[in-house]
Amino acid sequence: MTALRRRRMDWRGLVPVVVLLAGWEGVSRSGLTDPRIVPRLEGLVGLFGTEIEEKALLANLAASVIRDVTGFSIGAGIGVAGGLLLGLSPLASALLRPSFDVFRQIALFAWIPLIEMWFGIGESSKIVFVVLAAFTPTLINTVEGTRSVPAKLVEVGALLRYRRPQMLLAIYLPAALPSILTGVHLALVQSWLATIGAEYFMTAGPGIGTLIIEGRDRFQMGQTVLGMILIGTVGFVLNRIARAAETRLLRCRAA
Amino acid sequence: MATISVPEGAARGRRIGFAPPIRLIGAGLLVPLLGLVAWAVGAREGWVPPQILPAPDLVWDTFLDLWQSGDLFANTLVSLQRVLVGFAAGAALGLLLGTAMGLSRSFEAYASVLFTALAQVPALGWIPLVMLLVGIGEPLKLIIIAVGTLVPVAWNTRAGTHAVPPGWFEAASLWRYSRAQVVWHIVLPATVPQIFVGLRYGLGHAWLALVVVELLASSEGLGYLLVWGRQMFQLDVVIATMAVIGAIGFALDAALAALERRLQRWQVVDP
Amino acid sequence: MRPMRSIANRLCVAATLLACLLTSTARAEELTVRIGYASIGAGNRPFVGGTLAATAHAGHYLEDELKSDPGVKIEWFFFAGAGPAVNEAFANGQIDIALQGDLPSVIGRANGLQTKILLASGVNTPIYLAVTPDSDIKTVADLKGRSVALYRGTNLQLAFDKVLASKGLSEHDLKIINMDAATADAALASHDVDAAVGANELFELQKNGIAKIVYSTKGDDPSFGRNSAVIAAASFELAHPEITQKIVTAFVRAALWSSDEANRDALFELWAKSGYPADSFRADFEGQPLKLRNSPLIDPFIVHQYEVQAQQARAYKLLRKDLDLTGWFEPKYVETALRQLGREHRWTARDANGHDLGS
Repeated sequence: MTALRRRRMDWRGLVPVVVLLAGWEGVSRSGLTDPRIVPRLEGLVGLFGTEIEEKALLANLAASVIRDVTGFSIGAGIGVAGGLLLGLSPLASALLRPSFDVFRQIALFAWIPLIEMWFGIGESSKIVFVVLAAFTPTLINTVEGTRSVPAKLVEVGALLRYRRPQMLLAIYLPAALPSILTGVHLALVQSWLATIGAEYFMTAGPGIGTLIIEGRDRFQMGQTVLGMILIGTVGFVLNRIARAAETRLLRCRAA
Repeated sequence: MATISVPEGAARGRRIGFAPPIRLIGAGLLVPLLGLVAWAVGAREGWVPPQILPAPDLVWDTFLDLWQSGDLFANTLVSLQRVLVGFAAGAALGLLLGTAMGLSRSFEAYASVLFTALAQVPALGWIPLVMLLVGIGEPLKLIIIAVGTLVPVAWNTRAGTHAVPPGWFEAASLWRYSRAQVVWHIVLPATVPQIFVGLRYGLGHAWLALVVVELLASSEGLGYLLVWGRQMFQLDVVIATMAVIGAIGFALDAALAALERRLQRWQVVDP
Repeated sequence: MRPMRSIANRLCVAATLLACLLTSTARAEELTVRIGYASIGAGNRPFVGGTLAATAHAGHYLEDELKSDPGVKIEWFFFAGAGPAVNEAFANGQIDIALQGDLPSVIGRANGLQTKILLASGVNTPIYLAVTPDSDIKTVADLKGRSVALYRGTNLQLAFDKVLASKGLSEHDLKIINMDAATADAALASHDVDAAVGANELFELQKNGIAKIVYSTKGDDPSFGRNSAVIAAASFELAHPEITQKIVTAFVRAALWSSDEANRDALFELWAKSGYPADSFRADFEGQPLKLRNSPLIDPFIVHQYEVQAQQARAYKLLRKDLDLTGWFEPKYVETALRQLGREHRWTARDANGHDLGS
């Protein structure tokens, strides 16, 4: 089916997009609406160009991405480690899992005031928030993956008299890999969301979220829309990267 | 919800024997209890300034205060109303969209590109745009919650419709089922599990979107209480509100899970 | 899998280092005095106006005063989150000295922050009520049932509560939406709120036809104004009394310059660096002598003002218990500074009711 998709692009998909863009252009030219609220499309493209020239756009984008990657790596790292611990040790699971499940119920963004009061101004609050966002799905999926390792595999490992580290590396990790990667994928999505959210709600600093808020404050809807497009694009790219990495890594794992 | 299972071959130490649930519940409570004790001691000894770590009894008192003054109830009600209305709207649209994309190849061909593109932007990202268009009143909140719900519901509904065994469609055409009958007798029962996955994700996203939008621009609701606590430098209000937010999030999800179990029981009767 | 883990590891280390760098204060032989200002300029630029502390920043008074101490550096922070954000920064030990409004200072103290008020900066500052240009709201009483943007936890809130109370209203009669200055301005412009409570930045909106100022505490009871002060972490003041003195002296120098009527225009131009035009400040200060607003004195009047604020905050449920202000004020630094500069008689202390005390 993928081969078929590649050969023949379905142009019908673009119809609504064209209609939307045409409608937008029409409304913005009709004079029915405030030009600041519905800007012309050429204006948007022009804005994109000037923003790139002024390097502000790239700086903001870079700041957001760095924040995202930092928080994501820390959060996903802790999540995998914690997930392995909870998945492999019934004691740890019995002790910690219920508490984790309780804290997990608190909607992610409800943590913002607390995190800001605890970590104050500056990058640390934002990074902690992103870490939190990445940690949860990674842990849950890693636990899931570790628990569902087929018993037979574990027995094989026991038969081969594997020591603990070998069991981990040779049996558990490869078997749990699909779930772990799902968790990491989810974490990637969540941490990008958290990065933008942190920029909205926490102290001002460079970033796409700040770009969007400034656009709204200055009534430059063009800037806001630009920011939204960037958010969507980066999200899409991250999604693709995650999916490609997943396929690649799962392929090279011995069946 | 947490099922404690011991992977075979990894038995360490004692086996789970008599009265397992009690022992396990006990173990689960150990860490929170220790945490509570550490919290109380830390607050009393002043290891951390009281603005950063209010004493647990203060948080409890604040919670009781908020409850008795009616503030908590009023704000919770407002939030619940918002999320239920927004969720209902978003879920309905999502179900519609998902079913259409799943059942009609041509509809999917037309809609999927735009839908995927728009789905990349999280509900949070839509806020400034929607705010510019409709202002900061109730419509903003309901729209954002609906947007947050719509995407996972639509995705999962669509995936669900693909899960219908093709032979069933043939059988339906053999029996000359009308479109409506096809949907009711064939599509829905087969897709209910997947749809519910979507609905649960959708509800989770809806609750999250609610908190986000109330943090930004609201004069009532649980998110507003969080802001109040923060501006007034009262971390105990923030913590108490977070607990309520967590509890309600849990309750909403549990309600949906219970509904799903009900439906599955009904559905099993049908082939 | 393996390459990903080691990249992740490297990123973790880098991130931790980065986090440490960003959150740690300067150590070793140097002292960095971190000063927080509970406001920020237009478009989030790091310049402010309207108080003697703003003058001190824009005119580099502190840095000049500390030239003879090469190991001491001054670092300024501007908070869009205003007073509440300053409190968080104090609680986290991220700033040493701040300029903060009366209500958030009182809230901070009530919640256990150990601070000392060193000098006044921004006395009797008015607040303004702005509405949309075509609005039918003419007086404060007309606000009943309407939506009002107000920044909670700042001294705007308490001042506004007092104004409401004088007209027989309370916050419950209105729909109050928490917004910072930039958000409130945008909300007014887009008619998302019926009214906004703010400061001199509203004059710019009025000039551009986006809003209409319908009420000012200037025409009303003068005790309705709000105050701000330079406040220090008690631990800092205790550990570095000489540096504190130099800093206060620098502020007093700025106060002297800012209260000289001959400098009136230059003052507004200096404050215009904040991105708000000089005309806004001119309108804000109209009819008021510079000496009044820019007095650094901690006299019975200011102390009484803060006591009243604490009582009213308690009455409006902004505080949860009564607050004792004894020992909070440290007027000795201002008095020493004035004596050192030979200007003890520049300002006359006022009694609790605002009347000049003898001599």
